[in-house]
Amino acid sequence: MRIERSEGILLGIILIYAVAVALVNPAFLSIETVFDLVRTSSRDLILVMGLLLIMLSGGIDISFMAMALVSSYCATAAMMQLGLSSIGFLLIFAMLIGVVMGLFNALLISWLKLPPFIITLGTMNLFHGLMATLVGTRTFGGGMLPPSFNAFGSGNLIELESEYGIIGLSLSVIPVVLVIVLTWFIIYKTMLGRGIVAIGNSEEAALRLGFRPLLLRLFAYGYIGALAGLAGSIYICQVNAVYPDKMIGEELMVVAGAVIGGTSISGGKGRIFGALLGIIIIYLLKSTLIFLGLSASWNNLFVGIILVLSLSFTAWQEKRRNERHLLFKIESR
Amino acid sequence: MQQGAQAALKDGAAKPLLVEAIGITKTFGAFTALDDINLMFKGGEIHCLAGENGSGKSTLVKIIAGTYTQDKGTVVINGRSYKELTPAQSMAEGIQVIYQDLSLFEHMTVAENIALGHLREERSALINWQQVRAIAAAQLERIGVRLDLNQELREASISTKQLVAICRALAMNARVLFMDEPTTALSGREVDRLLEVMSELKKAGLAIIFISHKLDEVFRIADVVTVFRDGRKIGDFPSCDLNAKRLSYYMTGKEISYPKYQRISKAQDNFIEIKDLCKKDMYSHINLGIRPGDILGCIGLLGSGRTELALSLFGLNQPDSGKILIEGRETALKSPSASMEAGIALLPEDRSTEGLFLERSVAVNSSASVIGKLSHGILGFFDFVKERTLALSGIERLNIKTTSERKLAGELSGGNQQKVVISKWLATKPRLFIMDNPTVGIDIGSKAEIYEQAQSLARQDMAVLLLSDEIEELTANCSRIAIFAHGQIVEILDEERLKDPAIGSYIAAVVAAGGKQGTAQDTAAAGTYNPKEGRA
Repeated sequence: MRIERSEGILLGIILIYAVAVALVNPAFLSIETVFDLVRTSSRDLILVMGLLLIMLSGGIDISFMAMALVSSYCATAAMMQLGLSSIGFLLIFAMLIGVVMGLFNALLISWLKLPPFIITLGTMNLFHGLMATLVGTRTFGGGMLPPSFNAFGSGNLIELESEYGIIGLSLSVIPVVLVIVLTWFIIYKTMLGRGIVAIGNSEEAALRLGFRPLLLRLFAYGYIGALAGLAGSIYICQVNAVYPDKMIGEELMVVAGAVIGGTSISGGKGRIFGALLGIIIIYLLKSTLIFLGLSASWNNLFVGIILVLSLSFTAWQEKRRNERHLLFKIESR
Repeated sequence: MQQGAQAALKDGAAKPLLVEAIGITKTFGAFTALDDINLMFKGGEIHCLAGENGSGKSTLVKIIAGTYTQDKGTVVINGRSYKELTPAQSMAEGIQVIYQDLSLFEHMTVAENIALGHLREERSALINWQQVRAIAAAQLERIGVRLDLNQELREASISTKQLVAICRALAMNARVLFMDEPTTALSGREVDRLLEVMSELKKAGLAIIFISHKLDEVFRIADVVTVFRDGRKIGDFPSCDLNAKRLSYYMTGKEISYPKYQRISKAQDNFIEIKDLCKKDMYSHINLGIRPGDILGCIGLLGSGRTELALSLFGLNQPDSGKILIEGRETALKSPSASMEAGIALLPEDRSTEGLFLERSVAVNSSASVIGKLSHGILGFFDFVKERTLALSGIERLNIKTTSERKLAGELSGGNQQKVVISKWLATKPRLFIMDNPTVGIDIGSKAEIYEQAQSLARQDMAVLLLSDEIEELTANCSRIAIFAHGQIVEILDEERLKDPAIGSYIAAVVAAGGKQGTAQDTAAAGTYNPKEGRA
């Protein structure tokens, strides 16, 4: 596999950081840390795959956390009403609801021709508001939910004995891997994916080759909608409760992860490996502050530093490339 | 193909008729863009469409490509008649247009850029990367060019991009290839390579239709030239029956000749003197002085250091060592505003992105350089009256053709846009005016006006640094010419030397030989020189 320079740097940061943490607290160096990281980050690893596709198309979506919340909340509420208890229904309902919201985003973006950031900022509130007014705002606690939710959320694929008891690799690793493979297939193996990358590079040029931006956008935004349904479902199963106001507010962390991983904000460029690394580094920081004896507020500081550094690196590379081609930006004094 | 070929053979010609326009008329509101145009494009022929901006060439191309629909008339392609043509039909008939912006994908590889259109046409659902590379390699083979298939396009030079765009059109089974000013961004050797590729394609039986303002290229490559003026066809001419003078007469309806510049200034002290200026990998040990009233021409291939030096004088691209003296005093030109203060102005090569705010009015554009002087008081109230006065005086002085100073700059023709940029800089009362290819993509009539303007400025003791790829432009306008190669000035021709009528071909040979002037007359040396590929 080819590794980009920015990804190499991220890997280096992760390695150095891991060594530093291990020096302070040797307990960090255990398989348990890895398993825990996978479990807690699985929601965002799935979401960032959808976001990557959106950003490749030259767009952005910040409503995906709202879609994750609304779809999983509505699916749960519907199952309670209908008396269904299978985890399969949850996933199917939530993903369907997610797709509908995603398609709605795509249509608005295509019709209104406004920046996707503004539109999804609007629909983020719209989706959440519709849920609160039409479906309700009560919290479903662990005791009320079907037991299959918790069984899935706390289930393990692999279990190991350790001195602290049984540790396991969460079942959520299965959907995560499936989504990564599927996204890779879409981006690199289908004309659909290449079309999405093409409109992200230049919509006009793609049109001239006969690509249809509306259809490509419908797919990309529908895809992140479906992934939001899936990710939201996994999350509620993991916490074994459904709150009407969780998840919203965490979307920008995922966007930050994608950008740290080298995904271009202006579209057409981004890689799966980079986006995954971006999310992993954020969760690594989050989960290891405890090992370093730091409070959670340090998390934002670290993520902020890495985000600014990685953007500076990209900008610096761009500047050097431009200078080679004799393009100069005038610097303000 | 077979049928067409046979029909053509019956006519006694070896060239099959591929596209025929019959009685095409197109109006936009009250404006007639095309008036009853009849035209034929044949395979195995390079056909040039000549005419000033707005003469209707591009409209015709867009009708044949299916972007516009004609009001009257028929387009016949491969024997099939179309009253209305969609872009998809046009593409399916083998018509490909390479627009000036090239329409490529910057973050994709060379191979994918070439193959994507073909795969899209095939309606394949999956993408096979081996096939992508095979398609790309096959097309590059056809035009006899080697490129790195895995190079990301944004890392590639403009000339490589141009070739990629051609290969993409070929991969989509182009039989009729339109190229809109393909050589504008290329210099010297790259143009040669492109023209070679074009004649290869002609041999392969394609119809090549190209639009260019560079007359020397037209004569070098075209078999037939069709001249347009004000939406009407003036005629089809075999290019061997034309010369530059007649062609410009047909295009403009007037006799146009470029006046030769004579320096009349008495000033002998340099306005600016460059001493041993160096910048790593760009230029080294540059010594040059420019007096008031000089028009100093600079010519050289891409990467010869010419543009790099000009940018340094405008406070971009900081030099590593050496001195710049302005009126005898050493001056650090650290930023464009420092250069402006020192009395230097730069007319950039790409006027649409670097010289103008296309979405703003002529008035806003012509005052942009002195915007700080158009406000008064602590609160900085903006003086709209002054802005308007400034714009009107610029419009009058430079003869800018616009209906009003409030018209958007983007709505003017190329020549008039350039005049707006010039008027913007004249407002700063510069002492040295650097003009980087000031007439690229500008029609002949406006060209002459821009030359007159530059010369009249020089006669009023302004120093002008004229960067150009057109030798004729330099010999007509310059009092001295510096030839650049490999980051150095290899020769400076003075006024006496420029009086020699054969100086043009001498300059061409020195430039092509990369400065090895001992062999300047030897064209074989020109062929072996291998210019840097755009530094990528």
